Amino acid sequence: MSERTKLTRRGLFRGVGTATLVSSCVRGNGTEGPPDGAAVDDATAPAELGPDPSPLRFSLNGTPVETSVEPRTTLLEALRIDLDTTGPKVVCDRGSCSACLVIVDGLPRNSCMMLAHDVAGRDVTTVEGLAEGEELSALQAAFVKHDALQCGFCTSGMLISCTSLLRRHPKGEAMTAEHVEDAISGNLCRCGTYPHVVAAVLEAAGQRGEA
Amino acid sequence: MPDNRKETLKLGFEGNVRKQSVTVPDSEPRPWDADTKLKVVGKPVPRIDGHLKVSGRAKYTFDIAVPGMLWAAVLRSPHPAARIKSIDLGAAKKQPGVKAVIAVAEPGSVLRFAGQDVAAIAADRPEQARDALDHIVVEYEQLPYVVDTEGAMRPKSAIVHSAPIKERRTEGDEPGTGGGGTLQGNVRPLPPSQRGDTAKGFKESQVVHEATYITQVQTHSALETHGLLVRWDSDSAMTVWASTQAIFSVRDEMAGIFGLRSQDVHVITDYLGGGFGAKFGASAPGSRLGFIAGELAKKAKVPVKLMCDRHEEHVCTGNRPDSRQKVKLGGRKGLLHAIEIESHGTAGVGTGAGIGRNATGIYTKCPHVLVKAHDVFTNGGPGTAMRAPGHPQGAFALELAMDELGAAMDIDPVQMRLDHDEHPVRKKQLEHGRERFGWVERRRRSADMRARKTRLRRGVGVAASIWGDFGRGRAAVATAEIHRDGTIEVKNGVQDIGGGIATVLAQIGAEVFHRPLETIRVRYGRSEFGSSVGSGGSQTTSSVTPAVRNACEKAKVELTALAAERLKVDPSKVRWDDEGTAHGGDSSITFTQLCKKIEGESIVATGTRPRTYGNAPLPLPGAPMHQIAGIQFAEVEVDTWTGEVRATEVLALHDCGRVMNELTLRSQINGGVILGTSYALMEERVLDNDLGRMLNPNLESYKILGARDVPKIDVVLTEVYTGANSTGAAGIGEPSTIPTAAAIACAVFDALGAPVRQLPITPARVLAALGKVPGKSKPSVTTLAKGTSR
Repeated sequence: MSERTKLTRRGLFRGVGTATLVSSCVRGNGTEGPPDGAAVDDATAPAELGPDPSPLRFSLNGTPVETSVEPRTTLLEALRIDLDTTGPKVVCDRGSCSACLVIVDGLPRNSCMMLAHDVAGRDVTTVEGLAEGEELSALQAAFVKHDALQCGFCTSGMLISCTSLLRRHPKGEAMTAEHVEDAISGNLCRCGTYPHVVAAVLEAAGQRGEA
Repeated sequence: MPDNRKETLKLGFEGNVRKQSVTVPDSEPRPWDADTKLKVVGKPVPRIDGHLKVSGRAKYTFDIAVPGMLWAAVLRSPHPAARIKSIDLGAAKKQPGVKAVIAVAEPGSVLRFAGQDVAAIAADRPEQARDALDHIVVEYEQLPYVVDTEGAMRPKSAIVHSAPIKERRTEGDEPGTGGGGTLQGNVRPLPPSQRGDTAKGFKESQVVHEATYITQVQTHSALETHGLLVRWDSDSAMTVWASTQAIFSVRDEMAGIFGLRSQDVHVITDYLGGGFGAKFGASAPGSRLGFIAGELAKKAKVPVKLMCDRHEEHVCTGNRPDSRQKVKLGGRKGLLHAIEIESHGTAGVGTGAGIGRNATGIYTKCPHVLVKAHDVFTNGGPGTAMRAPGHPQGAFALELAMDELGAAMDIDPVQMRLDHDEHPVRKKQLEHGRERFGWVERRRRSADMRARKTRLRRGVGVAASIWGDFGRGRAAVATAEIHRDGTIEVKNGVQDIGGGIATVLAQIGAEVFHRPLETIRVRYGRSEFGSSVGSGGSQTTSSVTPAVRNACEKAKVELTALAAERLKVDPSKVRWDDEGTAHGGDSSITFTQLCKKIEGESIVATGTRPRTYGNAPLPLPGAPMHQIAGIQFAEVEVDTWTGEVRATEVLALHDCGRVMNELTLRSQINGGVILGTSYALMEERVLDNDLGRMLNPNLESYKILGARDVPKIDVVLTEVYTGANSTGAAGIGEPSTIPTAAAIACAVFDALGAPVRQLPITPARVLAALGKVPGKSKPSVTTLAKGTSR
């Protein structure tokens, strides 16, 4: 046998076993799920998924989508490979860089750290869903204006973090550079765009009267 | 050969502009100089592909999918040194979804680092390909290995290469460097550089400082990993989507591997998720990615996509070599009298552990200099060019050592640099920066904090950057095409690594034709758009913008002739206004009206950058090109209880020739400073001596700078009119990262009064420097060798 010793997330999932995996797919009273998003009902949900692909339905950028993926498939893989939604990027594939961030029921989540079946019935927004048709959001426009991107590979994750920040930031409270730096502290960028990201978010917040 | 003419240009920099005569070919326009006023070029124009990048619509190589495509995965050596006894691919071929399996290494071959290619698989889905790797059965005979630089230099060390090694050089390597002497054990000397006689110099010195400075291995860690997608279009032609910073190097390497004509290899890099020097060629520095994807695609008869994962990206796609630099400086009468540096560094199994030009190229008033660098081979993944190869390492050691000598001689660091640097732009940057940064007051404050032994200390440092305008003649061929509908296409096969070259090319078109930016369509990122340079050596802008300008000017000559015909005047009487309307005699014709009169589809002209003309105000030592100047000042705050260092502020003063786009330029300089800060304080590849493997091949324990760690960055642009080419552009990518780590290390020395001579400057090293780690002695501060006057 070849020797492969690195511990991967996938290997960990495999080791944990499908039963545990599926039970983790079913929402309990976890802290991250919405309190009453009752799309998955314990009584009607299948008792066990996999190992073959199973049907999966959720809302992607406001549109209902249906696909079929194995239980081990991450949300990031399902989005990119099965749903051709490549805005979320693969960079570390283990939750340390935030390039794959998406908004799940209002919260920013690393899509590489979620199983696709965990979003059954839920609302998922990717960077592709931030604009209104051809019209960029104020934040996206500010990113372009301030050059808050270079190669652009961290940009979709940055935008998800900052969009979430703008949404959760208390109305009327001044937005500061520290707020933005905190919000993007998990977003790694190798080109060094952080200062321009901060400038862009402050401007977008200012347009709402918060800077 | 075209005829030449003399042009008198105003060259130099603010406060020092002089008339200078340069020879340019007749086919070229008059180069832009200090008197040229431009309307679009130089302005802070947002990048033209910004809306695509912020909306997730920009498709990078990693995002491309074509019908029927398979995914590849590579089995890599788990051992730092092994001989393959056998490979059995049989079981892997039967795994779900698997369509092709190949051995990349043959039985009998020797593997020299953990991560080297062994075999590869293509399957319907990426997880199937990765799973099937477990079913490849390989028998290894493990061999002795060595992964640490010092260990590899010992007489009884395992030997990494028993035969002379071929250097792998790319466009990312600094021109004029490289080469090497005879291999002895694991050590291979690089060509030394010398000025004067250091033995004599030290004899004449009154103060001698001697210490060893150590830098770590840094990985490029571009967010988009290496990879490519290969589609055979016929038996003799292929299309390759590649995550590359050099489209034409991919084309040529793929053509070479598969015996194709290079015109039949079509390479596409529409968007690129960073490179930093590691993405040249179809192969990664430590993995034959192009061969693997192409061979699997050939075998499976469908397209194959191969993207590295983050682990692979760290171990086999290149890195910045480490260094151990023994620095000896001699001081005499308050001046630097002799510099001697002996350096050993490892680029793993590869070459190129040099230390840049700071010692030889910047402090040219020092009469005696000798730099001897060596490659030390170890069983680690190969190093390769990384943003200013060698320079940050060399700058760190030399600049910190200079401050240590300066402290012994009681000389201010800025003064010390002014006294030995002959570049007029760097001198201006030093003087301007001293004022702007409040250097004197800040130095006084750090001294005061040191004297009071405060818990939190502040310190400031300054360091210099040297780079050349390596823009290449005739490498880039650009096309300008004016269509009947009034749109203008500018074409060149250059890739946009993130620096924003596509936007700058649109600006050039808009400038020449007096047309709105949005009417200029830039076609780039594909080999079909005409030959170009790699994004390496900070040469892209100075190679491609002149070619584009020259093409546009030629097309404009034709358009002017057409306007003259319509306006019934001599072409020399046609005047263009700011809207692109042509005037002649008493009549005029708008740009759109005029374009409708074009015969056939369009007016087409090509242009190139013939050669470098001028090099004002100062050439790179021993070379004919403009020497790019840069100075950075840094301030740090150090917690003397915890040892934590925070970079609080960086003032970056840079020359990049004529500024093409102030907005994207500032982004690039920010990026250089941030990369340098990360190198100074955080990053370090850790190889385990007992396993021979990397322990932190990820992005949580291989730490790169995050948003909260970024210093306040103040950028000052000192524009220089070089006369080197028709636009006067020079590079900035590399110069902007060279001095950062050095300036931070100098600032830490100022804060503590004790040097931290090893990067990254971790809390443990700070505490050791303060003598707070039991069993570790404080570093000895500068030796007063002769105890004579300061």
